[in-house]
Amino acid sequence: MLPLPEFKLERPDQIGQLTELIGQPDSRIVAGGTDLIPNLKHRLESPRLLVSLGRIKELQGINSTDDGLTIGASTILSDIAQSGTVARGYPALADACRTVGTSTIQEMATIGGNLMLDTRCLYLNQPDGWRTAIGGCLKCAGNTCHVAQSGSGCYAAHSADTVPVLWLMGARLRLVSAQGERLIRLPDLYANDGIQRTTLARGEMIHSIILPKPRGFVSHRKLRLRGSIDYPLLLTAVRREGGGATAVLSALSPRPIEVHAEKASDLPQLAWAAAKPLNTHSVSTTWRKHMVRVEVQRALEATIHFGPR
Amino acid sequence: MSERGPLPGPGTTPTHRDEWRMGPEQSHVGADADVVGTGGLGKIDGVSKITGAAIFTDDIQLPRMAHAKLLRSPHPHARILSIDTAAALALPGVLAVMTGRDLPTKHGAIPVAQDETALAVDRVRYIGEPVVAVAARTEAIAHAAVRIIRVVYEPLEAIMTIEDALDPDLPPIHPDARRPSNVLRRVHQHHGDVDAGFEAADLVIEGTYNYPGSTHVPLETHAAVAQPLPEGRLKLWTSTQNPHYVHKTVARVLGMPEADVRLIKPDVGAGYGGKCDTFASDLCASWLARKLDRPVKLALEREEVFYTHRGRHPTRMWIKMGMKSDGTITAVDFKAWANGGAMASYGVVTAYYLGVFLALPYTIEHFRFTTMRLYTNHPPCGPKRGHGALQPRFAVEAHIDKMAHALGLDPAQVRAGQLAQAPSTSVNGLHVTSTALDRCLEEVVLASGYSARRGRLPHGRGVGLATSVYMCGALHGIYPDDLPHSGVQIQIDRSGRVTIFSGTADVGQGSNHMLATLVSERLGITPHLCRVVEGDTDLCPVDLGSYSSRVTFMAGNAAIDAADKLRARIATTAAIALDTDPDALRFRDGSISGSMRSLPWIEAVRLAEAATGTLGASGSYRPPKAGKAFRRNPIGPSPAYSFTAAAAEVQVDTESGIVVVDRVWCAHDLGRVIHPEIAEGQIEGCVYMGVGEALLEEQQYDGGQMRTPSILEYRIPTVYDTPIIDAILVESHDPGGPYGAKEVGEGPQLPIVPAIANAIFDAVGVRMDHPPFSPDKVLRALQGRAPLGVLPLPPDAPTRRES
Repeated sequence: MLPLPEFKLERPDQIGQLTELIGQPDSRIVAGGTDLIPNLKHRLESPRLLVSLGRIKELQGINSTDDGLTIGASTILSDIAQSGTVARGYPALADACRTVGTSTIQEMATIGGNLMLDTRCLYLNQPDGWRTAIGGCLKCAGNTCHVAQSGSGCYAAHSADTVPVLWLMGARLRLVSAQGERLIRLPDLYANDGIQRTTLARGEMIHSIILPKPRGFVSHRKLRLRGSIDYPLLLTAVRREGGGATAVLSALSPRPIEVHAEKASDLPQLAWAAAKPLNTHSVSTTWRKHMVRVEVQRALEATIHFGPR
Repeated sequence: MSERGPLPGPGTTPTHRDEWRMGPEQSHVGADADVVGTGGLGKIDGVSKITGAAIFTDDIQLPRMAHAKLLRSPHPHARILSIDTAAALALPGVLAVMTGRDLPTKHGAIPVAQDETALAVDRVRYIGEPVVAVAARTEAIAHAAVRIIRVVYEPLEAIMTIEDALDPDLPPIHPDARRPSNVLRRVHQHHGDVDAGFEAADLVIEGTYNYPGSTHVPLETHAAVAQPLPEGRLKLWTSTQNPHYVHKTVARVLGMPEADVRLIKPDVGAGYGGKCDTFASDLCASWLARKLDRPVKLALEREEVFYTHRGRHPTRMWIKMGMKSDGTITAVDFKAWANGGAMASYGVVTAYYLGVFLALPYTIEHFRFTTMRLYTNHPPCGPKRGHGALQPRFAVEAHIDKMAHALGLDPAQVRAGQLAQAPSTSVNGLHVTSTALDRCLEEVVLASGYSARRGRLPHGRGVGLATSVYMCGALHGIYPDDLPHSGVQIQIDRSGRVTIFSGTADVGQGSNHMLATLVSERLGITPHLCRVVEGDTDLCPVDLGSYSSRVTFMAGNAAIDAADKLRARIATTAAIALDTDPDALRFRDGSISGSMRSLPWIEAVRLAEAATGTLGASGSYRPPKAGKAFRRNPIGPSPAYSFTAAAAEVQVDTESGIVVVDRVWCAHDLGRVIHPEIAEGQIEGCVYMGVGEALLEEQQYDGGQMRTPSILEYRIPTVYDTPIIDAILVESHDPGGPYGAKEVGEGPQLPIVPAIANAIFDAVGVRMDHPPFSPDKVLRALQGRAPLGVLPLPPDAPTRRES
């Protein structure tokens, strides 16, 4: 078995202790661990301190409010997938949760963890011996990018299944830190950089996800080669507004991309033109690009078939 | 039951008339049975597997046990200039470090091609080759220690492709071999007159096919635990399919008498051919345990299993086939180039298997092939389910479909019209003792509605089929001798309990239950009174191992041989007690009955023990000799052949190119059913693995670097990707098999990929000649564009470059 690196584990039960601990240098938050633990085993990082969210009750749960819905960051995906409230108002979110990993992973993984999922790349998410053979990469113990040799940045792909739908649902995030708290729009969480992938400050974390009342039907598609387990090859969420439509696409670059069409029928072509898949996956880039048009078209059709006219 | 008729039968070449010496005809073939073939009887080791009670190698913990880890090469081909282990040795908790020079004795699966060492000596030949082993107090310390070992390499030009391997101007990967060459083995055989066969054809079509490399993905990774014993002896637990060969190899490499090494195969979480060789884990754990005089465990990570590999050879193939307008095949000319990776493993055998089985299951009079198994700087290929026979079967079955289509014939009828019958001998001397392929084909055609639905389903949906042949063990073991291939000893206790000792390796396929079933059938008791002690070289007579689909046929016969000796002893005393003739006794339902009275089993056992002493007997099986055609290269002939027909129904999404296999009907001639659920499980496993190879699996490399050495990115089907499987058991009662049984573990995989390819053609009209049928490839084909990465055919033999 691949051993974990050595680390100290803290399990605070008060949010005050928690925000103090996550401000410490070389610390990482662990919730379900389904992303972090494999990455630690692969030695993508070796933090000194892991801070568990498991004992902080206020981070868990789904609550209806006058303005919509609040979901605690440590709520596990299967609870969201099975929630009647979510199913009634935000069915695409339940659908997206059900596509993460496997059903057993959905019992461990949290929604906050999914939002914070590390970016992924064929040349990064490998055991350390494998990465040594290629001399490492920009994101981990190297100075070349194997995806774009001439590039200066890291193109590891944003791969969080729940983000495109939450994005189109107008999700905002309540962030907390020892310094206080703030509210941001979900799209503002992500930087277009595979290494510095979020805009969170040191010591800052997602407390909860705040969804406004449902506005129009969002459809969601996850492209993968198997019916389970796989990370996305392409994520597509589409929402219509009036005669137009908006798509959010992911698994293409370090940050999801948003494409808007004044005329809904133009959306597949506009999305296709905007999508620039790279060699970050083991599957043909040409085919992934082709599939942008197909998936957006199908997501668009789903909004007609199932959503409000 | 098949009667053995006078030879030659249909398809027999006169020159082979007198060569075949039949194996022993078994009296139990076709006999009535109570246990054999009865459904609903739980597998004797089933409960231990599903409750977690089963002990696998990595479960073994011993006092003072150390843990070992391997450092592997980051270069595909390089000279090792120096290895600095000082820092690792200085790490607290590190106990010993081992390098290739500590154990330089060459070994390898096939005696004529022994090119491996426990760890690389002076040179590495693939990324992932083991270079240094470290033993430490804990696994974590060993893991840390291998990462601070400094190895200085001088990179060498790497041989990456089939073309590289055929280029005699490039250096050989194994320069110290007796005849250094990157062509490990070239096989050329010509039977009949192929050119005349093409002359007689109404249609001749050529085609090229690329089959990708794939790997086994057993649930359990390779693992070994070695324990030094008093008087310099050694005990080694290892996750292996071949306890006997690994036992011999470990003893030889360590320089120990075989009798001083006890090898134990605990419960094994599958192999599929990937655990047939002796590995670094076996040899390094053993060497380190002896050096430290304490037990050592070495269990591989999943990534390491990908490098250990021994999987499917990536194979380029060319076929030319002639057909009469009625579908009769007039001649087959076949060439194959297999990229075998850096070690020979079973590659000499692969070179033959790529060709020889193409002479069946159809009656082909004119047949020629040239095959080559090549060395490259990739992880070593070896046997994977359907070893060597699977890639050419894909090519031929896809090719027959094309020719039938071109001639306007029904592909099922083309096949049905020329199946080899039993008994018969193929043009290259393969003797068919039994076949029910006609019925297999009929079953899948009827079940799938093939005849009515082919060509008539809506665009995007299609049906396809294929047939195949496979062996039931090899007539010759890996090294030539006159010893039995399987031995079984049975001991009966006065409690009535029957213990079966066998050197076989149950790796999940159910061979223990097979042994218990056959023995209990002969003795008239329930299989659950039987205990099987297997895979332990101190306790069990030799069986050559779980490879080449040999175990049911060979060990099954040995078990019956032993059981019948005990049955005779028990019958003699029981007959006296029952005042009847021993031959008139029936052994059934736990009692021994004469015409008037009966004895409970336990009574009969006690009487026999009282009269004749402790009850024990041994049995063995030795296959018949191969004919003259195989005197020089006895690779290919088997005591019997299994046959399979499969039909697949697919959906092709024409916008995305995504193929979904909805259903597979697979009818397999397994001779005789011993345990229906286990047999169906084997067929389901074959279909599952076939679907994986058809749609998903491919070992991809960037140069020498395997792109996806993980079960996240090397995608095998999940339950959602697995079709509905109709496993259909068809019996032919082979005259030499135990109760007429033949193999069922490998053969059913052979027709799956071509059946799917043929179904894709029926669905959308494109020919997919290069698995896997991934959506990008299918989409290109649908767009009418040529497939990517299909290279021109290499030469038949190494040729010097024009200067």
